[in-house]
Amino acid sequence: MAEKDISIIHPRPSSIVAALYTLRDLNVDVAILHGPPGCSFKHARLLEEDGIHVVTTALDENGFVFGGREELSTLLGKVNEMFNPKLIGIVGTCVSMIIGEELSEPVKDANLDVPVICVEVHAGYPNNTKGVLIALESACDAGVITDEELERQKVLLKEATNVEKRHGAASKEYLVPSRGDLKYKVAEKIINYLKEGKKCLTIMNAKKETGYMFADITVAINEVAEQLGVSDNVINMANVDDTLGLPRVRHHAISIMNDFREKGIEIHEIIGGMDEYPVTGEKVSELIAEKYSDFDFAVITGVPHAIPMDNLQNMDVISVTNGPRQVHPLKDMGHSNVIVEIDLHPKTLGVSNIVESEFGATMREVVKDMQKTEEA
Amino acid sequence: MEQKRIAIYGKGGIGKSSTASNVAAACADEGYKVMIIGCDPKSDSSITLLGGKRIPTILDLLRQKIDVKEEDIVFDGYKGVKCVEVGGPEPGIGCAGRGIIVAIQRLKKVCKSIDDMDLIIYDVPGDIVCGGFVAPIRKGLVNEAYILTSGEYMPLYAANNICKGLAKIDTPLSGIICNSRSVTREEEIVRKFSEEIGSKLMAFIPKEQIVQDCERDGFSVLEKAPDSSVAGVYRELAHAIMSNDSSVLPSSLEDERLRELTR
Ligand SMILES: Nc1ncnc2c1ncn2[C@@H]1O[C@H](COP(=O)(O)OP(=O)(O)O)[C@@H](O)[C@H]1O
Ligand code: SF4
Ligand SMILES: [Mg+2]
Repeated sequence: MAEKDISIIHPRPSSIVAALYTLRDLNVDVAILHGPPGCSFKHARLLEEDGIHVVTTALDENGFVFGGREELSTLLGKVNEMFNPKLIGIVGTCVSMIIGEELSEPVKDANLDVPVICVEVHAGYPNNTKGVLIALESACDAGVITDEELERQKVLLKEATNVEKRHGAASKEYLVPSRGDLKYKVAEKIINYLKEGKKCLTIMNAKKETGYMFADITVAINEVAEQLGVSDNVINMANVDDTLGLPRVRHHAISIMNDFREKGIEIHEIIGGMDEYPVTGEKVSELIAEKYSDFDFAVITGVPHAIPMDNLQNMDVISVTNGPRQVHPLKDMGHSNVIVEIDLHPKTLGVSNIVESEFGATMREVVKDMQKTEEA
Repeated sequence: MEQKRIAIYGKGGIGKSSTASNVAAACADEGYKVMIIGCDPKSDSSITLLGGKRIPTILDLLRQKIDVKEEDIVFDGYKGVKCVEVGGPEPGIGCAGRGIIVAIQRLKKVCKSIDDMDLIIYDVPGDIVCGGFVAPIRKGLVNEAYILTSGEYMPLYAANNICKGLAKIDTPLSGIICNSRSVTREEEIVRKFSEEIGSKLMAFIPKEQIVQDCERDGFSVLEKAPDSSVAGVYRELAHAIMSNDSSVLPSSLEDERLRELTR
């Protein structure tokens, strides 16, 4: 586990938010935040785009002092009428947890015919994966997921935490955000490599729904290779196993695979499920050692810092992330270029098809321009 | 004269509320303008100044979302002593500490008469379990702290801890008051303790049945038994507090020394 305990000072998504996203993956129809009205506002809004209703008990100063049992049970009744949900989640906040609110009591008071997952979480955990864990444990208690799935997820979470500590957002006390390298420069470089007949590995190692956009980079590279007549020089890996993970996560894998198929893109190696991004690294390493050690360059998208560099030493590694704070750690790992897809996440919510990425679009344009100048 | 804003700390049940209300009554007898602010969710600080009646607490009214005014929460008791009770949430629910903070902020905002007082006594709960319970001090509302203790080990232990706490939040101690539980050499023990932490013994209040009898009837000793000897002690204490102008940042004793003192 932690080789070092560092005190990280850059703000980062909280466990409350992590719990909300987990509830979404469990396909709850409504998530209730039991706490102050502004808590987790930005992510609550995003999640609405993803089709779930997020509401708050909006505890005020009085609520802080007297508790909000009635507010919560009333709100449960209200959302039941308004949205007719099949599954509800309640998420604690710092406020409700500090004053010792008991989430299950208002659930009893409301006496609904709908299963409710009560997640006793606050924002004070250093690793926000704790929020995922608590949400999953609560879901297991509520009979929404099996013990086996819980155990599987626990392993993934532990690895996800380790990945962040090794090379991710938890690797340094403070990480300067960066916009990464210029997209057209890197696009030019990739296109030139392909032209020169260099062999390319695309490795999509995406976290859940972010795959809808990272997949577009795989698509763009394959399109460019096709135009240049070097399709055979590209091998695609992606974590799109649709038999693994929570229901919503499997659905993402199915949708993305469908799109790949429709666009005629072959995924040569499926490296895991869409929630397995923290553990795919080893598999990728083995595959490279076995079959692809003579490749010239690799484009890793999604969570690139989870892929170990051991067997990539002889390749030029280009990575695409959506985390501005991830740029420096990736360069430190030895990636020659790092591209940031700014604001990727919001664009991947509420979709079930691959969405165009800026980097993908740039490659498509640059290849056109280059061909035009050649013709001229 | 400069307004005195005092808080009396000490182990739960040691006699803070009864001492506070008797001192308040004694000061009112002397013609001082006095306010007593009960900060314990039990709301029992002012009851003996109000003939045994309970007043609505600030938090009772806030709970009903009432836009509280001074006259809703400040009540005249014995000889015009202004009585306020902060109140609290139901035991075991919500956050009493936050309640004190919110109530005191509200009181400060709506209570104009607070500025005219000669003496304001904050009657605080015995156990300082969280930040809210020291809000009167932290928010600068209290400028003198007193500690009430008997000569027994546990109350002294608590007193010693309070000294540590006061030093930590940079609040000077104005004196120690001994409320007797009739243990041997009690006055000597508490006097020694007071000196060793760098403070002084303000008064020795004997344990007298009449204190409890008056309380049961809903009155202070000063009102119900003004000629009793213990009423005289409260008068002296009141006088000592009103004329006290020295305070120190207290030190605290090692547990070993504390045990030795009480042996
Ligand atoms: N000097 C005294 N003699 C007799 N009884 C006392 C004396 N001081 C306090 N008491 C009684 O001790 C009990 C606890 O006192 P109280 O003021 O409520 O303590 P605190 O406010 O410190 O919790 C009360 O019943 C009170 O009447
Ligand atoms: S402090 Fe906690 S409860 Fe308050 S807004 Fe932030 S995350 Fe929410
Ligand atoms: Mg009391």
